[in-house]
Amino acid sequence: MSYARGTIAALVDAVVPGTPGAEGVQADGALDIDLDETVETAFNELQEAPEGPVRSLGYETMPFAPVLALLLDIGALELVLRREREESLRSPKDAYAGGPFSRLGPEDRMRAVRLLEADGLFPALDERYPDVPFGIVAYLMQGAMFITAMAAYSDWGDDTERPQGWRQADYPGPAEGYAVHMGYEVEEFVENDYGGGDGAEEDDTDDGATAMAADGGDDSDPEAWFDDRSRSADEAGDAEGGADR
Amino acid sequence: MSGPDADTREPDVVVVGAGGDAPALAWRLGQQGIDVLMLEAGPFHGNERFPNPHAERGEGASRSPADLSGDLLDEQFTAREGDMGSPVDGKLRWGPADADRAPWARTVPQTGVISQVAGVGGTTLHYYGNHPRAFVPAINDQPHWPLDYGDLVPYYQYLEDVHPVKPAPTTPKAELFYEGARRAGYDLTTGLNVEEEGYRPFPNAILQPDEALQGEYDGDFRDLSGDTLAAHEHQGGPHPRGADFERRAKRGSLVSLVPKALDTGHVEIRPNAFATQVLTRAGPGPLEACGVEYRDTWTGRARRVFADVVVLSAGCIETPRLWLNSGLPDDGWVGRGLTTHHFDFVSGRFDADTLEEIIGQRAVEPHQGQAAGSRLDVPGAGGIAVNTFAPGITAASMYSESVNGFAFENDTSGEPWDTEGRVVGQQLKDEMSDYRRTLTLICHTDDRPRQDNGVSLDPSTEDEHGPIARLDWSPHPEDDERRLDLARRSARLLEEAGAEHIHRSAAAPIFLHMQSSMAIGKVLDTGGEALSADRLFVADHSALANGVGGANPTHTGQALALRTAEHLADRYFDGVADPIPADPTPASADD
Repeated sequence: MSYARGTIAALVDAVVPGTPGAEGVQADGALDIDLDETVETAFNELQEAPEGPVRSLGYETMPFAPVLALLLDIGALELVLRREREESLRSPKDAYAGGPFSRLGPEDRMRAVRLLEADGLFPALDERYPDVPFGIVAYLMQGAMFITAMAAYSDWGDDTERPQGWRQADYPGPAEGYAVHMGYEVEEFVENDYGGGDGAEEDDTDDGATAMAADGGDDSDPEAWFDDRSRSADEAGDAEGGADR
Repeated sequence: MSGPDADTREPDVVVVGAGGDAPALAWRLGQQGIDVLMLEAGPFHGNERFPNPHAERGEGASRSPADLSGDLLDEQFTAREGDMGSPVDGKLRWGPADADRAPWARTVPQTGVISQVAGVGGTTLHYYGNHPRAFVPAINDQPHWPLDYGDLVPYYQYLEDVHPVKPAPTTPKAELFYEGARRAGYDLTTGLNVEEEGYRPFPNAILQPDEALQGEYDGDFRDLSGDTLAAHEHQGGPHPRGADFERRAKRGSLVSLVPKALDTGHVEIRPNAFATQVLTRAGPGPLEACGVEYRDTWTGRARRVFADVVVLSAGCIETPRLWLNSGLPDDGWVGRGLTTHHFDFVSGRFDADTLEEIIGQRAVEPHQGQAAGSRLDVPGAGGIAVNTFAPGITAASMYSESVNGFAFENDTSGEPWDTEGRVVGQQLKDEMSDYRRTLTLICHTDDRPRQDNGVSLDPSTEDEHGPIARLDWSPHPEDDERRLDLARRSARLLEEAGAEHIHRSAAAPIFLHMQSSMAIGKVLDTGGEALSADRLFVADHSALANGVGGANPTHTGQALALRTAEHLADRYFDGVADPIPADPTPASADD
């Protein structure tokens, strides 16, 4: 097990852990399908090496898997130094490497990812030195989470007819079709008038023949609801804006 | 050192890209007898001249509809998620056709995911066939467009007729959405020109399903015409299998517009051809484009092709990259003003009894029926749509993509959702084990063009095609507010439909819908021609002046490409024998 593979194992195991108490296929996790290998391979094949020093070392593609592993360890170290760790440190599992990321509890590993992409040293450097693309760290973290989740629940890295993630989701796999046609809510759209103050027409008044009537809904007053919602949306909008920054 | 060889054949028009929009333009030009060569960076699927497009180069180009093969499409489009859609090594990715090579690089110094496809048909290879028109006020009331909405309507109508575009059929998951919308107090919209809030079936470029699918059916679906409701749009959707190439239900450009373009006898498509330079010459007046240099992605050989007119249709990222790598003039808006619809996702999980009561079955079954067949329009804020995927994309987009951290540490009290942010661990396993009882909604925000957002060159990173593109995009606080409004409406709709658990992703940027990075009115005149160079046009979503209100952009992109084709023919050839609008609006170069 390489350093890169073992550190990525600690990542994918936190995202989709084995849960031995669960029934049947739900007990299995990412490591049961060697997702660490799939993600490592994906990262090492993410992008061709540009002309320059990396290519002159003999790499055809960028060796991003060890970069990812190194970043995860930096994030873990930062979490420890900031005293933001909330779980006890632990001995790494056999599949893990030995760096700090591999020694964090599973939720703390996610907190380390959050530091790397949003709240920690690299995002702060990105703010302070806008000419250096430190934000690429955040891009790699999002990529790691995206690839892990997609591969865990698809055939990515697994050519069998019905990979584990499909079985866990009870997805039967590709189908030729389904007999679920229930007719039409609208038979044909109409070329309605638009743009015009008093000249504008209500859609459902023009001929009525082409559209099936709406069910009518219930008695709630949508206007009242929207007024109410827009007030709370404003308040929450501020909160979200703050979180984003 | 001698330069690259020049092609002996000189088409009238050379088009860079054969993606979602360019085939509309090429078809329209071909109809006028104008010879068009399309250079496409990616592979050509379902074409007998390229029988193993990801393993070997095949022949150089295709110019006959007889080359198109439904059997090959069936063989290549397996409908498996990873095989088709892995952004690293899937068949539908942004990268060279050669499966042994890595994707092409972009510099993205921020959180986000790019979801673009190289290949004939471009990103319509994995789109969901969604063809709503722009929201009327996004064109007429927002300050970005130098055209009126009415200028686009005849082109919309033309496309709605030829694809065709029809109301999506009701399926159980659509009925669940409709019921939630009705209970939340929304009215049904039946008009094509949308100015008001309302719910409706998606106007989709997907052939209507066979009536046989309304009852008990136990055939193999090969005896059907039209959509089989297999929900494989994202994976390329080749259904119904066994049908002729042009009769595949999902009307991506590959199966809908490309055969029509080839059928004119005036269009040639050369895949595996990555354009690296727009060639120019100093004319008596302004700068003039006169050709393109491109590189064969299999052999590495560079060639030049000269033409009377050059059209850039390489998409919102590569069109400005090519422009900037060619040293063309930039007044500050080349590559800028990018809009992305600032996506969000909100999902609802339902218990079986509730579902039984509302839709008469005990699961949502997100994998059955059109992937996106029903929507709620909210002009001014954007749109909300049912957006269902196979499990891998569900896990990736719904639960792994967020700017708001992790659900296990987010407090959602006072919010209309139970959880928010990334979902991992046991919580993710729980969500995914309930996949079949989950309805996922996407929010398409009406984000507005801003000069800070867009594409520039990364001079520190070059690939074989020159300095690569760098992408920077962040939402304005007003875009965040619109998105939050849509997320709240989504949650309300799901709650009204009876969801027992609601999750909001607060998604990180997904660069899938991209618009307005080479906008008409900024970089282009109203005919789609560059303001700073003659004989150079842009015909892809980058030419849109804004994000069309949050409506899916393909319909407007193709409509504008048709219109641009007519102006191109008027300016440099013998005009258009059969203009689409009865009374065309003259384009102006003075905007």
